[in-house]
Amino acid sequence: MNFLQVIFRGLWRRPVRTGLTVLGIAIGIAAVVALVGMASGYEKSVVDQLDTIGIDIVVSNMQGGIMPKAFEESVRDGIAFMPGVAEANATLMQMLSVEDAPMMVVYGREWDSFTWDQLQVIEGRLPRDAQENAVVLGKLAAEVLGKKTGDKLQIETGEFTVTGIVDGKSLLENGAVNMALPRFQEVSGYEGRANFVNVRVPEGTPDQRITVLCREIEAKHPGLRAVRAREVVGTSQGFRMAQAMSWSTSLLALIVGVLGVMNTMLMSVFERKHEIGILLALGWSRARIMSLILCESATMGFLGGIVGVALGVLTLTILEQTPYVRGFLEPDLGWSLAVQAVIIAVAVGIISGLYPAWRSSRLSPSVALQG
Amino acid sequence: MPAPEASPGEVLYEASGLTKEFDDGRVAALRGVDLSIRHGEFVSIVGPSGCGKTTLLNMLGLLDRPSAGKLRFRGRDLTEIDDAASYRAKEIGFIFQSFHLLPNFTVEENVQMPMFGLPGTPRERRARAVELLEAVGLGHRLDHLPVKLSGGERQRAAIARSLANRPAILLADEPTGNLDSKNSAHVMDILLRLREQHRVTLVMVTHDQELARHGTRTVRIKDGEIVPEGA
Repeated sequence: MNFLQVIFRGLWRRPVRTGLTVLGIAIGIAAVVALVGMASGYEKSVVDQLDTIGIDIVVSNMQGGIMPKAFEESVRDGIAFMPGVAEANATLMQMLSVEDAPMMVVYGREWDSFTWDQLQVIEGRLPRDAQENAVVLGKLAAEVLGKKTGDKLQIETGEFTVTGIVDGKSLLENGAVNMALPRFQEVSGYEGRANFVNVRVPEGTPDQRITVLCREIEAKHPGLRAVRAREVVGTSQGFRMAQAMSWSTSLLALIVGVLGVMNTMLMSVFERKHEIGILLALGWSRARIMSLILCESATMGFLGGIVGVALGVLTLTILEQTPYVRGFLEPDLGWSLAVQAVIIAVAVGIISGLYPAWRSSRLSPSVALQG
Repeated sequence: MPAPEASPGEVLYEASGLTKEFDDGRVAALRGVDLSIRHGEFVSIVGPSGCGKTTLLNMLGLLDRPSAGKLRFRGRDLTEIDDAASYRAKEIGFIFQSFHLLPNFTVEENVQMPMFGLPGTPRERRARAVELLEAVGLGHRLDHLPVKLSGGERQRAAIARSLANRPAILLADEPTGNLDSKNSAHVMDILLRLREQHRVTLVMVTHDQELARHGTRTVRIKDGEIVPEGA
């Protein structure tokens, strides 16, 4: 028999209680995995999309929450003629309920801008011009909405004809509805306004120059923020808020887990006072007794972590298929998140075991032996 | 590592003025006990219930600390010792009246318990446990939980456990107190045989005068004090 077996035997003496405690930790960890996985999936989707389109700088008013506030479309003209800018175009992006889909990304893209370039038509065609009453659907959006070329699609107050279905090469693009900017401005009530200006710089522009250009754009258009494409998510107040909320919700779930394990271990120490007394009489040191209690709680944390990661993955897999999420968010479930979650769970176990372990170390062997 | 073997006749314990009070001095369990125990002795401590026998045994095993007085083990002051666990692990084997086996561990695992923290691999621990259990006639009960054993078998398992760490001293508190006369005699035979075989000093608390006669010396306690011989 080794120490590990002694630990497991201690946990096994009350299998139901141990199981429920492990489940308590697992739920906390599942919340961490699901919420952080969603937040990081959203980040990845945005980064992938910007990368696919080939945007170098994104100009927006990021203080407006998840969806930036709209500004005058003419801002684009001021930016397009700045030195160091190769191309600039305006986009209006909104998350709307479209027919049966509760949430869908809708883009109004400037006609003839480079943002249409990466949309590969797999069925039908793109709109003929900026005035045509037409939309093209990303392939996932078409699937979610159940539309094919030639069908009608109601968006806000307008009815559009689906002229084509495209492969946008990224999740956000494939899950989106696209139309010409003026048409979207009209139906959404944002005439003459946009909420993004996408900027391309000439190839080979050094990083430092791009950073300087961002500062120049901001100086020229106070109130707007110009950030490099890969920094969009990190600087978005909305995203940071969502991330903070996901972590704070997770933290609450973890605190519940800590209290659960602490309660279990305290009960266990109380119930095993007599056994601890025996072990002390048999020459076990207080440090060894403490490490036994700590290892038991850490083991519960570890098991809770493993089950929690599995539960979190299951939750995300189910969520991924729901209409609320499908098409604009692909949960990011890397090994690093799983490992982090298990480490957090073990830490929860150890922290929860500290007080019970200390209590066990204070027991007097002669008193403990009396039961 | 087990302590070096004591030489015959070496003084192991020397207690002087050993006192133990409870309830902030309202209850005196031991009142200035002077006692000396030599290596190889079998000391029977007898006396009526509540006279302080078990308290004295707990002091010798450092399960409890004296309120006053000195207690030396091989010349070392036990009242000042910080590492009581190490002292118990290396020097002491306990046998209790109510066996005190761990209910969730098999008999063989129970015997392994005192060996944790001492040198030896799990395989060596198991081998020693099996050897000791065979010596007490429980070779066929290795994988049984204590609840499946009779009282006599449990005490035999406890005797095997008390020898697992190769102690210099066995401290036995009413080892036959919970057994019928037949089992009591059997357990006592085993204890005496193993004491000889393992050359350990035995300090046994009992209120059974017959059992006490097995000892090489009898110490009588009354009201927390040692009754002088011949008194």
